[in-house]
Amino acid sequence: MLKEIKRLLKMHRIFIAQDLKKLMEYKVDFLTGMLGFIVYQTINLIFLWVIFSNIPALKGWTYEQIIFIYGFSLLPKGIDHLFFDQLWNVGYSYISRGDFDKYLTRPLNPLFTVIVERFQVDALGELIVGVALMASTVGSVSIQWSVLNVILFLLIVPFATLIYTGIKIITTAVAFWTKRSGQITHVFYLVNDFAKYPTTIYNDVIRNVITYIIPFAFTAFYPASYFLTGENPLFNLGGTVVAAAVLMTVGVLLWNKGMSVYESAGS
Amino acid sequence: MRRFFRTYLPFSRAGVQMMLAYRSDFLFHLIGEMLMCIVMYFVWFAVFESSNGSTFMGFSMTDMTVYLFISFVTSYLTYSDGAIALGEEIRDGSIVMRMIKPVSFDMTFLFQELGGRCIEVIIALVPMCVCVEAYKFCVTGSVMFNPVCFLLFLLSTVLAYLVSFYFNVCYGFTAFFLKNLWGSNVLKDAIISFLSGSRIPLAFMPPLLQGLLTFLPFASLSYIPVMIYMGMYDGMTIFKSMLLQAFWLLAFWALSKLIWRLAMKRLCVQGG
Amino acid sequence: MIYVDNITKEFKKTIKQPGLLGSFKSLFNPKTEKIKAVDGISFHVPKGEILGFIGPNGAGKSTVIKMLTGILTPSSGTCSIDGRIPQKDRKNYVREIGVVFGQRTQLWWDLPLTETYAVLKEIYEVEDSAYKRKMELLNEVLDLQDFIKSPVRTLSLGQRMRADIAASLLHSPKVLFLDEPTIGLDVVVKDNIRRAIAQINAEEKTTVILTTHDLSDIELLADRIVMIDKGRNVFDGTVGELKQNYGQMRELNFELQRAEDKALLDYGKHFGLGEDDLKVISDGVNVTVRFNSELVPVGDMLSYTLSQVHLSDISVKDADIEEIIRRLYKKEVRIDA
Repeated sequence: MLKEIKRLLKMHRIFIAQDLKKLMEYKVDFLTGMLGFIVYQTINLIFLWVIFSNIPALKGWTYEQIIFIYGFSLLPKGIDHLFFDQLWNVGYSYISRGDFDKYLTRPLNPLFTVIVERFQVDALGELIVGVALMASTVGSVSIQWSVLNVILFLLIVPFATLIYTGIKIITTAVAFWTKRSGQITHVFYLVNDFAKYPTTIYNDVIRNVITYIIPFAFTAFYPASYFLTGENPLFNLGGTVVAAAVLMTVGVLLWNKGMSVYESAGS
Repeated sequence: MRRFFRTYLPFSRAGVQMMLAYRSDFLFHLIGEMLMCIVMYFVWFAVFESSNGSTFMGFSMTDMTVYLFISFVTSYLTYSDGAIALGEEIRDGSIVMRMIKPVSFDMTFLFQELGGRCIEVIIALVPMCVCVEAYKFCVTGSVMFNPVCFLLFLLSTVLAYLVSFYFNVCYGFTAFFLKNLWGSNVLKDAIISFLSGSRIPLAFMPPLLQGLLTFLPFASLSYIPVMIYMGMYDGMTIFKSMLLQAFWLLAFWALSKLIWRLAMKRLCVQGG
Repeated sequence: MIYVDNITKEFKKTIKQPGLLGSFKSLFNPKTEKIKAVDGISFHVPKGEILGFIGPNGAGKSTVIKMLTGILTPSSGTCSIDGRIPQKDRKNYVREIGVVFGQRTQLWWDLPLTETYAVLKEIYEVEDSAYKRKMELLNEVLDLQDFIKSPVRTLSLGQRMRADIAASLLHSPKVLFLDEPTIGLDVVVKDNIRRAIAQINAEEKTTVILTTHDLSDIELLADRIVMIDKGRNVFDGTVGELKQNYGQMRELNFELQRAEDKALLDYGKHFGLGEDDLKVISDGVNVTVRFNSELVPVGDMLSYTLSQVHLSDISVKDADIEEIIRRLYKKEVRIDA
């Protein structure tokens, strides 16, 4: 088991190295892609700034707190985007065109290979903005950066990332039955937009959906609110861990079931 | 003229069929975009609840809601992704398949996309307008639908679409330099969403910036039709705005022809 | 080595209705039907054999290959290589096989070939020394050195195919699956690839399963042929056996001096041949007679023809493998298998 994991990690490093080499071939593309994500996030910030230049607080949350939550939301999103981006292609085309075949003829776990095959450097745009935003709020929001909280922070971000990855795996696995599911992944993925703002601004239906059904609220608002207020660690952080565990388990099970009905393409 | 339509209408029909074939893509995409709109609705709702007065920079919550949803559907309808297809075809060389046919390449893209747009008007625009009018009726208690404004809105939307189309054709030519149009597409869409006012109404911008942005081609993409729909513009402003849209349409059309000519030369040189 | 026992595969297929109206209809009421792509196929391949696996388009070849390579799960029946069953032990199973799909590449598109090989070395955990030896051999057999440093997207189709075959052999698989390895290639490259396959097979005792539409591939390489059609076995045997069993059909081609002389010829009545054993096609003065040479010797056929009419030209064609297979595909030969 341990040997297997070590081998998989080694393969992961090799794939990353391959993508970095590819990057050198397409420098301009990489820069525009990254710039695209930076600009996209910056525009959202201008939006927040315009709003807050007219109101002191949004449902009790200050500008700085909202910025912190927003910045936090970009970390799991960016990490998932950076490491686990290939899943999109599987749902959009690999399964329907039969390109998924190649993963099955290799002595590696197909899900693992798919997930790590691509290292999407564009995501650095999101990560840079996210880190910069959180850093900018240091001093203006009252967060106790105690050793415990730093450790909790470092532990919770990977779990929040797995919520993204889990949702992508589940919706991608649907393609084994429907041939294409990229559009479904797209819709579910976009629900993460709700997570960037305090859930208190939504009505009950939406709040319940993003907490219990498509739990993106646990990728940003809930954990971030723990760090901002120190309240409810069991729900705010524990919920993130539980959501990640449930989604990943369902994802892996569904994926494995799906692979057995994979039909390839052509005659 | 009849000859013209006889040549290009089959492309529209193909567009319609493609849309129906990929109907789930289209519906899910529409739902996905709607989600963003719903998020914004709640954010604005909270903003109005958190601010002191009942208006925010001259917009009431009703105005804001109408703006959000109409602006969403207008941006959606005027979005042209022919550029991506064009870029792909340039990159993989299948553009030659269009070049060897006795048709003009931009018209084929245009008519193909227009076919899909017709379906979108039925599935997205009509229900959205009905909902928005119903919402206005519920809030104000009276029917406020103005057919003249609506027709002008439709006309302006068509102009907006054409501006968007030719702008994107010009953009599609960047495929000659970039391999990955996807990344730069994110950049382009982000910039447009800001400059066109679909993210934040231009009315909220500082006056100087607002003046500049209103004149730039991006306002022609969705801001102008939405303002017309909402009855925010008087007759003179409507006339001037549409003239501006027509001007940008002409400008991008001419630019696309110019680039195309240069590109053809380049293609020939490459071909040896 | 390879045992395939009565495997079947069923697919569900949505029926597309034509036209705009049809698209609307299937929007609300999509229809599906079950299709048996493979319907009980069995064969056995001993170690070191090259098996030609053929059949017309849509016969189910690719589906069988995909089941054998562990990509698809059979609806029923089993296949195994060296006792391993792909659906039970996929990872160890695929270590033993190499796969080349002529229409697809497994190479990393944007990177030099060497990079793909370096990654595959890690994926299959090939030892450094074994890797070095293997690369030398493949280099020699497939002539990779000219393009091994270039990005894959710049390779010609022939180079890419050679590179793909090398990629599938890096880990010294016991079985090599080649699906249309010569598709779209020129004669020189085809020849090169055939020699490489033969050499690898001879030196490494690699068992090869080869599907192709180019029957020269089969004649030059295959020890044995398995032919399928409509998802069923139709022939299993050597090239020689194929010729022996189905090669009795001969073809007599001649040109009449006068077209109206045709009326003087009635082969069916004269020799008492039924439809299965005789076929006469005529076009103006040109006549083609296909007949079963076991029932009527070629000499009798010739002398009857010459006694009835005056000819300006005549030739007798032997059944070559291409001809036999063409007839098998077109159902001109009855299959008793």
